Amino acid sequence: MSVFTLRPTHRGGGGQRRPSLVRAVTGGVSDVRLVARGWRWGRRALVPASAAGSTVVARKGLFPTAWARTPAASAARDAIQAGALVPVLAQQTDTTVHGRDVITRLRELGDGPIVFVANHSSHLDTGLLLAALPWAERRRTLVAAADYFFDTWWRASGSALVFGTFPIERRASTVSATPGDLLREGWNVVIYPEGTRSPDGWSQRFQLGAAHLSVTENVPVVPISIRGSFAAMPRGRRWPTGHPTVTVRFGPPLWPGPGDTARTMGPQVERAVAALLDEDATDWYSATARSAAGATPSTAAPVVPDGAPPAARWRRVWERTEPLAVRRPRQVWRED
Amino acid sequence: MSRPGLVLEVDDRTPPLVVHEGDGFRLEEFPRGTRVVYPPESLPSVPDVEAAIDHALRNPIDARPLPDQLFAGMRLTIAFDDISLALPQMTRPDIRQRIVEQVLTMAAAAGVDDVELIAANALHRRMTADELRYMLGERVFRSFYPQGKLRNHDAEDPANMVHIGVTDRGEDVEINRRAAESDLLVYVNVNLVAMDGGHKSVPIGLTSYTSLKHHHNSHTMTHSRSFMDHERSAMHHSAWRMGRVLKDHLNIFQVETTLDNECFPTAYGFMQKREWEWSVKDQAAALAARRGLALAPTSMRRRIFQGVRAPYGLTGISAGEVEAVHDATLERLHRQQMVELDGQSDVMVLGVPFIGPYNVNSTMNPILAACMGLGYYFNSYRGKPVVREGGAVILYHPVPAAFNALHHPSYVDFYDEVLSVSTKPSVIEAKFEEQYATDPWYTHLYRTSHAYHGVHPFYMWYWISHALDHCGDIIWVGAEKRSVERMGFRAASTLDDALAMAQGTVGRSPSITFLHNPPHLIADVT
Repeated sequence: MSVFTLRPTHRGGGGQRRPSLVRAVTGGVSDVRLVARGWRWGRRALVPASAAGSTVVARKGLFPTAWARTPAASAARDAIQAGALVPVLAQQTDTTVHGRDVITRLRELGDGPIVFVANHSSHLDTGLLLAALPWAERRRTLVAAADYFFDTWWRASGSALVFGTFPIERRASTVSATPGDLLREGWNVVIYPEGTRSPDGWSQRFQLGAAHLSVTENVPVVPISIRGSFAAMPRGRRWPTGHPTVTVRFGPPLWPGPGDTARTMGPQVERAVAALLDEDATDWYSATARSAAGATPSTAAPVVPDGAPPAARWRRVWERTEPLAVRRPRQVWRED
Repeated sequence: MSRPGLVLEVDDRTPPLVVHEGDGFRLEEFPRGTRVVYPPESLPSVPDVEAAIDHALRNPIDARPLPDQLFAGMRLTIAFDDISLALPQMTRPDIRQRIVEQVLTMAAAAGVDDVELIAANALHRRMTADELRYMLGERVFRSFYPQGKLRNHDAEDPANMVHIGVTDRGEDVEINRRAAESDLLVYVNVNLVAMDGGHKSVPIGLTSYTSLKHHHNSHTMTHSRSFMDHERSAMHHSAWRMGRVLKDHLNIFQVETTLDNECFPTAYGFMQKREWEWSVKDQAAALAARRGLALAPTSMRRRIFQGVRAPYGLTGISAGEVEAVHDATLERLHRQQMVELDGQSDVMVLGVPFIGPYNVNSTMNPILAACMGLGYYFNSYRGKPVVREGGAVILYHPVPAAFNALHHPSYVDFYDEVLSVSTKPSVIEAKFEEQYATDPWYTHLYRTSHAYHGVHPFYMWYWISHALDHCGDIIWVGAEKRSVERMGFRAASTLDDALAMAQGTVGRSPSITFLHNPPHLIADVT
């Protein structure tokens, strides 16, 4: 054995590569790409499914949207909606709007704000609803949006500018703009009482926020039904395909009565939207009769025979993705 | 409320994960389905450390209060864990300083004049004066070091050692004479992992080669399953037997401490977090660190990482009779580090970090890298190993053939002359150990310089005996081929390559488990 040997080759970094500026730069680019992809830069951060139960998602302050209600931003929104949103939707979908006259009738009574309430099953809904409104109403209408729209700065800014979205107040400590404040300022507000898009096209439980607003601010609720948007662009799809047929139907306004509370008015709103969906699928008179008899078909799940188990998920989706009847020009001359 | 440990299953939502590899780290994308074991978050630390120490010393377990054991005219020796703990080194003040100061305050009040402090370094290198000052603080250092009353243990000084007796298995029990002949020996421990403490403190920390060879050998190490479970560790069984012999001859007052999992300071905070919870700041810090390290020369990278000081918090302290104290210690330690894991895997993945017990302020040479990965991390289990018998272990470390001439002289020859002959622990033990253990030059360097003992690289190699015995394949990712092959392993460039190389052992779609440490964890495999 050599008593003590130290070879010079053992003193340095062995075979480790020397730092190189070129390698550092190219490595930097690939590192940035890796991090951008891994942490979904510009998109919503995700939590691995197996860590969901142990991960506390940090709540951020509400995204400020007051700038989107300034005259300049409103003018830009008008231009974008009129110049892009409405034509694109018209080109990509076959949309029919019914009952818009309820707004004309409301305006005969006064110039006050309105709460628009609709069922919600697609990201198309907001665009369709805004495009369905008369221009004078559309330019004074804002949309209450869920956290999804405010999880990244670019999505929040874009949706605030194009749709006039604002985050719904969830915590008193992070109030930026409440729907009540906006109504008092004269804005119409669109609220989806289900809170989020339906996963299968069927309605979820209506929350009482819209009814509460109507009662506390004494403003009318205009119910709206949207049919066909789930089939056109459900969760997970980014763009409608196949020129799908969609209908938007406005119903008569609901005014809060003297003794009404959110708890009494909330079910009225839910029933009104359900009746509109029924009306859209059948006709006004028979739907009105069913509504009066309390026999409006459920919007929450397909009807199953007594005693049968609830419909499986595929059946729910199947039924809600059935294309609506395509409107065709009536043929004057029929061929035999 | 600190969260318990987590076994993550990698899915398409999982970002790249931090994998340590020496003086650097990777962001690795693991195959879907890989299990990743995260340690529990730090337990709440003791809010008033000084009060906790005082309480422990005055209310010991199965022993008289320390002040009652101190009297004028007595011989008091305070031994303490050396620089191999904690890892990385603690931010000042070190917990040992705080305890030693209180013990000395009590001793001064009792009028004790004959006090000595001894670093329990066994066959480790001697600590430098600066390291002792950093660990124990200026007051303690200035009061004792100049007089030679604060010193390192010298296991090769025959006059310094005393043979106490033998165990019922014929194992020699030899320890430091000053400690053995004191009226009271206070041992101050840092129980970073479950293998520390208990009878591993005095019978191993203050002993010599004569005693160590009874349990630091390939046979004992192969049958220690694992080191982190002293009830199933042959090495600990031997130490416990020796401790019980000592118990009849010495008055030992054991002080054991447990730390939380705060291994990294704020600048490296991203290494402490679960990756999907990284803020933008954490992502930026990780990117900056990766780029900075890529540009830095090796020496600077080493300086950066050796400069890391861990802001460990104290989770508890117990004092008194050795075994009773250690039971309390393990209960706290398991709460901090234990993660339940359901079943073994075909493949175990480990990132070997920049520091281990034997390269503090030094270089992690190939043997130490192997010891850290296959000795310490492989053995971080209770019950069964994380990888099944015959499975593959994949480790990350560059494994440069770089040695610290001051600290690891015998490692150089071990690497060049011993490993080139054989990598089998039992063979090299029989053929070379005695020669290195008794080599006068290594002994001289151990005693007068700051070198690890000549036999130390053998112990490091025995430390991995269990892994060598258990695993079918051992592959290092990103490692220097020459040094890895010298140790009998294989090198791969990427994880994909390593998995492809291991196909012959574990098949095409093996189950994979990655231990995400540090911070420290023990996998409780059922």
